[in-house]
Order: sequence, then structure tokens, then C-alpha cells
Amino acid sequence: MINVIGYYTTQFGELWEKSLFDLVEEAVIGVLKQIKLENRQIDAVFFGNMLAGVLENNLHSPSKIAEILKINVPIYRAEAACASGGAAFNLAKNYLDATRNKNVLVIGAEKMTDYSPEETIMGLSAAASGEEQEAGLTFPGLYAMMANFYLQKYGYTEKNLAYVSVKNHFHGSLNDKAQYRRKITVENVLKSAYVAYPLKVLDSSPISDGASAVVLTNDRTMINKQKYSTRVLASEVITDTISLKERKQIDEILATKNAANIAFKNAKINRSDIGVAEVHDCFSIAEILAMEDLGFWKKGEGGKKITDLSTMFGNGGDLIVNTSGGLKAAGHPVGATGIKQIGEIFLQLTGQAENRQVKNIKYGLAQNVGGSGGTAVVTILAV
Amino acid sequence: MISPIKIWRRQKEIRKILGKKGRILIWTKIFTPGADFKKYAPYPVILVELENKEKIYGQLVDYDEKDLKTGKKIISILRKVRSSTEEGVIAYGVKFKPL
Repeated sequence: MINVIGYYTTQFGELWEKSLFDLVEEAVIGVLKQIKLENRQIDAVFFGNMLAGVLENNLHSPSKIAEILKINVPIYRAEAACASGGAAFNLAKNYLDATRNKNVLVIGAEKMTDYSPEETIMGLSAAASGEEQEAGLTFPGLYAMMANFYLQKYGYTEKNLAYVSVKNHFHGSLNDKAQYRRKITVENVLKSAYVAYPLKVLDSSPISDGASAVVLTNDRTMINKQKYSTRVLASEVITDTISLKERKQIDEILATKNAANIAFKNAKINRSDIGVAEVHDCFSIAEILAMEDLGFWKKGEGGKKITDLSTMFGNGGDLIVNTSGGLKAAGHPVGATGIKQIGEIFLQLTGQAENRQVKNIKYGLAQNVGGSGGTAVVTILAV
Repeated sequence: MISPIKIWRRQKEIRKILGKKGRILIWTKIFTPGADFKKYAPYPVILVELENKEKIYGQLVDYDEKDLKTGKKIISILRKVRSSTEEGVIAYGVKFKPL
């Protein structure tokens, strides 16, 4: 059995004093100290990062991490756009499936605020198809197309989308590592400026710096020594076409749907068993589609369901979503996001989520998406 | 920097999809673009289904706000797409105008 035994995340935000590898170092030292693990007890490292090569001519990260850790073990970098963190976790899980009595460190990190927004947006666009790039379609633009299609098809308005951000900002106000701690209203969202019609600034996750790390092990003695530990019941990666236009359905992320179906089958649990979930709300529409594609809500009902705010902490719902603040309020340092999501589920399941602790939960799920749905990673943890 | 070789390779494909009629499937309007497109913002981008059922993306130009709707008839045209530096190659590509 593979277990997550530790989690540490840096603050997410505009961290001008810190470089990419300063952030990596803080996350690594943080998680190892917390579980009292020596560097030499790490058997392999997996690193999720998207933009270092594109933005700052910074590659060969495995060797840079080896220098920080002062160890000589296999270290790999995973890249799957915004799903880089989830993909790194999946590779670590598969590595442990193939070996015995090993400890693996998984780090996700991104440094995005050293450059102008235009330069960072251009870098992120590298994860879109050539044709989408040539048309000037940004990621907000691609999700805006999905949103426009969804709103038209089911007769919803921009107000329906706004509830996602209201909920996630409330959760962000409870998380001291979140980039935004301010509560917002539906009106605030509707009055914010357009990024790509119909999505506005307050429908969108920010540009962020940050690093998160977890330690995984399949060593029973190591698991027994730990105060906090969660089992990894499933971690599934599914890919799909890079172009939105090649998909059968514009308002569905098939990769999420397929990854979830396999994950629930492998975990041998039902949707109703999940008590907390971290879903990939890079834009408000993305959380609504995620809830439908993961099978928590029926197709087309999400726009209505979100307005009940049943997935908000404190409202007594059976499933609380994005207690970290989601990508929207916690921030979205691209490579770190997938690890922070799994880390938040770890905190919740082990009772360490402090003022946002959801009670009586046994199972949690994380969904991490790359690009406009070209990659999806679904992970299920249990205590 | 836009590679001239990339442009040359792409040009061969572009001429096959010029002057084609179709309809808007989905649209959006970009207010926050990447660096190469900053001077065009805000600009609409549409996903079009051509009469031969082929789907292509591009910006809509010479338009009125009322043209931004699903089902609107358009035609594909050749327009400047981007130029990264003063002395760099200018990339031409497909855009659309309303019919």
C-alpha cells in the first residue's frame, strides 16, 4: 500500500524575494523536517514544473534539485502544463507500484511573477495547439469559449458562474497559505473587468509563485512510524486532443470523465463516499464542468447547483469542494497546483486543516487539468 | 522571434483555407492577450464550421457587436496575424469577416 505521509507548501502569491529553486528548497526542507526524514532516506524525486524552460531558460531541474538535497538518486521532471504536479504525483505512485520499501519525494513549483503578464500569458500559451496560438486564443479565451457554449446551451448567465469564485474566496479567507484572503460577493465578480468574454478577472485564477511537496512511501515500517498518513487508493492520468475544436463535446472534459471512472473503479468506492474534493477551478466554468465530469452533478445541472453553495464549508453539505481556496483564491503556481490539491486532501483527511476542517470524512479526491483538457489527473486518498 | 521557416511551412496550409464560407459555432472576445497580440486587443476569436464541415479558429475583423453570435455567416480572409519585433518577419494567416 502506498501512503502520503507528509505535506508542506510555501505561501502562494507574488513572492519577489524568492527564485524558483528558493521555493523548491523551502518546500523540500519543510516537508522533510515535518516528518523527520533525512535526505539520504529519499530514493527518488519527481518534480512538476511547466514554465522554467520557456520563461527563464532554466532546465535540467533534476540536477538542480540534487544539488539542493545533496543526494544522488533518480530525479525526474514531469510536464503536462497545469497538470504537471498531478502528473509528477502519478509517476511517483507508479514508481512505488514497481518497487518495494522506498520513499519518494514529489515537488511541484512555479515562478510566474518575474515577467510581465503578457510574457507569462505567452509562455502559458505554449500549452495550446499551434492553430489556437496563431488565432490569439489565450487559456482564458479557450475556457471562455467553453463558458459561452455552456451558458447558451443551458440558459444560464454570468451570475451562475460567479458563485464559484464567491465560495472559493471564502475558503481562501480560511487558508493562511492562500494568495487571496479577501471574501468577495457575486456583485464584485459581475463588476470586475472582462479577461475573455464571458469570463472576468474574478472568474479567473491569478498568476502566482509557489512550491508544494509531499512524501510518498510504500515502506510499512515508515508508515507505522508516522502520526499522519493517508492511503493512495487511485491516481489516474488520461490525455485527450490538444485542440478544443477536435473534441466531441465543447462543454465537457472527457479526460476528467475517463480518469474519474477508472479512479473510482480502482478505489472501489462510490462518488457519495467522497467528503472533500479539490477540483481544477482555473476559471469559474472549470469547477462547474469538473463537478459534472467527475460525476458529482448531472450534466447541465452545475450552473444551478452551484448557486445553492452546498459545496461551501459550513453549509452542512456532504461534499465540500476546494477548501484550500481552489486555484482561484489559493493561487495557481502552475506546477505546484496539483501537489497543493493532494496536500489539502491530506490535511483534511488527517484532521490538520484547522479552521477549515471538514468533519467525519474518510475519502477525498483531487482533479488536476492540463491546458483546456488535454491532460487530466484524478487522485483518490483515504484514511 | 518568429521563425521565418515556420511561417513558410504554415503558408502552404493557409492558402487551402482562404475564401471559404462558414458559420460561427462559438465566440469569445479577448481583453487580456499574450505579448504578440497586445496591440490588437480587445479582439474576438471565433470557432467556425466551414461548409465542408471543417472546423477552424481565427479572429473576426471588420465586425459589428451584433455579428458576435452563434450561426453568423462568415468568410475566411488573409490578414496580418502577428509581428514579434520591428525587424522580424510579419506572419500572415487566416482571419474572418462577417457576410
